[in-house]
Amino acid sequence: MSTPTKTETTNDTALGSLRDVWNDYLPYWFMAPMVLVMVMITFFPGAYDLYLALIEEATLNVFQADFAGLANFRTAFTRGGAFHSFVVTITVVVSALFLETLLGFVLAALVAGVESERTKSFYRVLFIVPMAVAPVSMATIGRIMLNSEIGVIPFVINTMTPFAAPNFLSDIPLLTVILLDTWNWTPFMFIIFYAGLSSVPDTLVEASRVDGAPLWRRYVHVIIPYMKPVVFVATLIRLIDLFRTFGVVYGLTQGGPGTATQLVSINIYEQMFINNQITVAAAIAIVYLVVVVALCNIIIAKVGFEGVWD
Amino acid sequence: MATQDSSPVDSSQRLDKDTREKLVTAVRHTILLTWSFVVLFPLYWLVSMSLKPPGQANSLPPDWIFLPTVYNYIQLVQQGDFLAAFANSLFMVSASVILVLLIGVPAAYVLSRYDIPMERDVLVWILSSRMLPPIAVVIPFFVIFQSLNLFDTRIGMILMYVSINLSLVVWVMKAFFDGIPETLEEAARVDGATQFQGFRKVVLPAAKPGIFSVAIISFIFAWIELLFGLVLTSFKAVPVTLFVYSFIGSRSIEWSMLAAASTAMIVPIVVFLIAVNKYLAAGLSFGVVIKE
Repeated sequence: MSTPTKTETTNDTALGSLRDVWNDYLPYWFMAPMVLVMVMITFFPGAYDLYLALIEEATLNVFQADFAGLANFRTAFTRGGAFHSFVVTITVVVSALFLETLLGFVLAALVAGVESERTKSFYRVLFIVPMAVAPVSMATIGRIMLNSEIGVIPFVINTMTPFAAPNFLSDIPLLTVILLDTWNWTPFMFIIFYAGLSSVPDTLVEASRVDGAPLWRRYVHVIIPYMKPVVFVATLIRLIDLFRTFGVVYGLTQGGPGTATQLVSINIYEQMFINNQITVAAAIAIVYLVVVVALCNIIIAKVGFEGVWD
Repeated sequence: MATQDSSPVDSSQRLDKDTREKLVTAVRHTILLTWSFVVLFPLYWLVSMSLKPPGQANSLPPDWIFLPTVYNYIQLVQQGDFLAAFANSLFMVSASVILVLLIGVPAAYVLSRYDIPMERDVLVWILSSRMLPPIAVVIPFFVIFQSLNLFDTRIGMILMYVSINLSLVVWVMKAFFDGIPETLEEAARVDGATQFQGFRKVVLPAAKPGIFSVAIISFIFAWIELLFGLVLTSFKAVPVTLFVYSFIGSRSIEWSMLAAASTAMIVPIVVFLIAVNKYLAAGLSFGVVIKE
């Protein structure tokens, strides 16, 4: 990384000096709007949630609030099911992230290698489309197609295979959620990996092909190391988004049966709007925030600095 | 399969080049077609449901052959505000994508090229805006929006969409800028270009594939957003997702209408994708050319 080099201008006019101010402080101008928006969208919600987590009951008048210490956090983990929802969330996050990363990369690599430009662009558009299905619609499609009485998928399994179809929403709800999320969000990994693969210089790939390196070796030693930053960023962003999965599960199972698919975000929603315990909901959100921030820091420290950021 | 030309061990077993290439192509297309089927079948089901008369939508065994009808779509449009909300979403989401690129791309460039103090912490901070679950964020924003008169305004919703996508744009674009050699701008600067010119005329074109993919993703994330619209709008700035949501009643679901609304919601994304697809491909080849 270089330090800003001052551009030398001999222009003495007012416009010229204005241009100098623009150019000399370029990094500041470039950063300022983002910092402004970031302050607005991170500090206030975070602080407000922390405040809610620490008071006894949500009041409209901030000055009348009675502080409750850590009582809300205790409630969240004793009666609020917070621990269980963290376990469910981590199960879903890890499995879905694994499936989506693997599938996304394989599909991107396969499409990138298609000869015909038209076929390539057909696949490119088609494979991104599932992402366009809003989670609410996604959940509904899932409910229609998987329903054990009217659904087409159990019908096909029952009539065309010797197996009896499981009841997707009550027998294997977690697996159903994971597979639906994979259908919905593999496109995200696909599009970023595809753009990343396309940025690998042809000369680099060509050179290793001339050397006679087999396909897998070309990927392991040349292509993947080159696009490591892109792989890392896509995976990290998807990881964080998986932690906030809400729409699909809410529409599909509402956290049930029982609490089988109660993700952290569903738990927060229920505490907030069904149990009317905004303070407990805020406490879970704060714990969740700390866990995710800590996790990301660990990942960035472990993986991020070996050749990705410097 | 070890197929290195230098190793004589396997050469007898090696398939000749033509056969192998055919095999690779066959496997490639088998996998791609399988995934195409996995992608297309639910979409086909959705679209076909929207084109069936309500009574026929869920019959089993399914009516594979049916007379398509636009009845559901006519119902949808007649139901009043659907078109208005659709146009509303289109405007708000497009504006937010332009805004988030204007804010995020330059910042990502600075983060990629300059020594920022505590750079890692800045990056984690940016990403942390995505870490609070939307449900936890929406109550504070409700309070802010009330006091700033942003409740139920398009500007308010555009800002929310920007807030959803900003971290994504900054992180993905930083990764792309990192992949673009610095020698490019240095060469431009030697030729007398200012820093800004170097950024605009050399780096931006090279980052095109990244910018287009991040634009598509941002558009989609804003387009499918439900919760903020649910809590932060009431009448004037209602996004189209609320209509899909409203069909999931407490007792019964109007499957056909829901299918029609969901299908309509996919259309702009597909149109946008096909429109950008050309530029995406052009941007990709340009990016490769400039690197050599």
